Amino acid sequence: MDLYKFLPKTNCKKCGKPTCMAFALDLLQGKVKIDDCTPLLANKYKKNYDTLKELIGSEEGKEKELRIDVDEELCDGCGICVTVCPVNARYCTPTLSGKAPDYPPEKHQLFQVKAGKCELLNIKYCRRIEAEGRERECRVCESYCPREAVKIDYV
Amino acid sequence: MVDKRTTCTGCSLLCDDVIVRTDGLYIDEIFGACLKGKEKYDLITSKNRLLTPFIREDGELVKTSIDKALEKAIGIIEKSSKPLLYGFSTVSSQAQLKGIELAKLINGFIDSNSIICQGKVLNASKQTGITLTTISEAINKADLLIFWGANVAESIPRLLNKVLFSRGKFRMTGREIKTIIIIDPVKTASFGVMGVRDIALKVEPGRDIELIRALKEECCTPDSIPSTGVAGIDRDDLKRLLIQLTNTENGIIFIGQGIVGSSNNSEVIQELLELVQMINIRQQKGRMSVMMLGGHYNMVGFEHVALSLLGKNHSLQFSDNKLIETSNTIISKINNDDFDCSIIVGSDPISHLPWKLSKKLASKPIILIDNKKSATLNFADVCVPSAITGIECGGLAYRLDHVPLELEKIINPPNNIFSDEEILSKLYEGLKRG
Repeated sequence: MDLYKFLPKTNCKKCGKPTCMAFALDLLQGKVKIDDCTPLLANKYKKNYDTLKELIGSEEGKEKELRIDVDEELCDGCGICVTVCPVNARYCTPTLSGKAPDYPPEKHQLFQVKAGKCELLNIKYCRRIEAEGRERECRVCESYCPREAVKIDYV
Repeated sequence: MVDKRTTCTGCSLLCDDVIVRTDGLYIDEIFGACLKGKEKYDLITSKNRLLTPFIREDGELVKTSIDKALEKAIGIIEKSSKPLLYGFSTVSSQAQLKGIELAKLINGFIDSNSIICQGKVLNASKQTGITLTTISEAINKADLLIFWGANVAESIPRLLNKVLFSRGKFRMTGREIKTIIIIDPVKTASFGVMGVRDIALKVEPGRDIELIRALKEECCTPDSIPSTGVAGIDRDDLKRLLIQLTNTENGIIFIGQGIVGSSNNSEVIQELLELVQMINIRQQKGRMSVMMLGGHYNMVGFEHVALSLLGKNHSLQFSDNKLIETSNTIISKINNDDFDCSIIVGSDPISHLPWKLSKKLASKPIILIDNKKSATLNFADVCVPSAITGIECGGLAYRLDHVPLELEKIINPPNNIFSDEEILSKLYEGLKRG
């Protein structure tokens, strides 16, 4: 709410969001930058712009980045993370042994099991980066790992 | 470099979706196999691998040639009148067949590891009957999975992945549609996959039989469970368990070592199989089935080979080249010192059996046929190294759900290393010649 106070409150939709409130929320989560609000750059709002910079400036310098850690000590390569990951499920084709990701991995596949250990292929298709709304809160791989080897973190 | 789809022989699940990248000499990468499977492929170059035959001379193990080792083995077997053959759970079915033929020739007693593992369930099923199922059915149809005394997340790592999380033909949502119930006295790693609808029952150790009897009684006369509960499980949980059991469309009970290895195992297994039959009779729309969890990859194979050859699935005693009736098992045989030499194939009984039995086993000459160093090697008189089935030689193996799978050869074995089948054939030929 503090952030919303300093926005233009005109709902001009120039930033691509329907309302200034939505923009404020996204600003808080770090999805958008202050500079995305073009009217704010005008001289009229110079004071507000500076205050906003001050409010979230400390966090803006080092943007929080999603990281999925797989503990090699704990992982035993059961491949549950490979099967449960909803991104995998979207693209994989049905096989005889159930509908599970195939090898060699597809380009969307997040995890693969190599040499008895789980390996992170590419994080950019993860639901926590790519998806919208509630899907963004996905923690399936972390919650179903029986050995608690997968950890989702923001650093 | 070629990517080859192969069957992993790390455990009894025999995953057929493992990919290995090989240049024909070594295996470079392994995709899809768990840690247990990877260790099996690593055995090729491991320092634990047996590559030379050994014979014992003046109490010391000495390196020798394969012909000399076989010669000494034949000498030991010819001198003995009551040989014992044991192991056969990590070799192909062809080698098991040769093993039974060898036992027939030398009038020996042959038994597999299965007798101290899932073979007990098959023995009990002769009286009660058994409903078996397959892994594919578990993936595509099952909606209730009960793990009774089994920590599958650590013993057979990929089983949960396959039966619980895979999205099957009639169970498209995968995990969401399947309920799991874990009955175990301790909290194991398998509890980590539990969701909201799943039930964890902490049964008191050694009291499974009371729990099964209470369920059987409740099946016949409702509301017969005492309000204090049974075996540390309260009444509501028991009722929920029974509702799940009787209302499931396709339920599977996985019997683990917690049941098979309990002190009164034969009674518990019989009662459990009876409970399954009872539920199946009362059920309208579905059925319950049983799946046995074994450790070694071809444990079921021996039962099938022996059953198809001789009509008896374990503890085969031969006399005058014919099968004779006996109530002995490998345990009673060793305990009564009723043997004078032993042939161990692909097993490590010195470290698996209790100290009292291993001491007795070690006191007699041991002929070992195996591909890795083990505690048994330290007591063996003759040791013949063998190729790794499923990697260096092919063969047939039975999965834990009694489905036969053909294992393929990926790379060539090292020089002068033969498969278990060939070594047993050589022994057979040598003994036949006299």
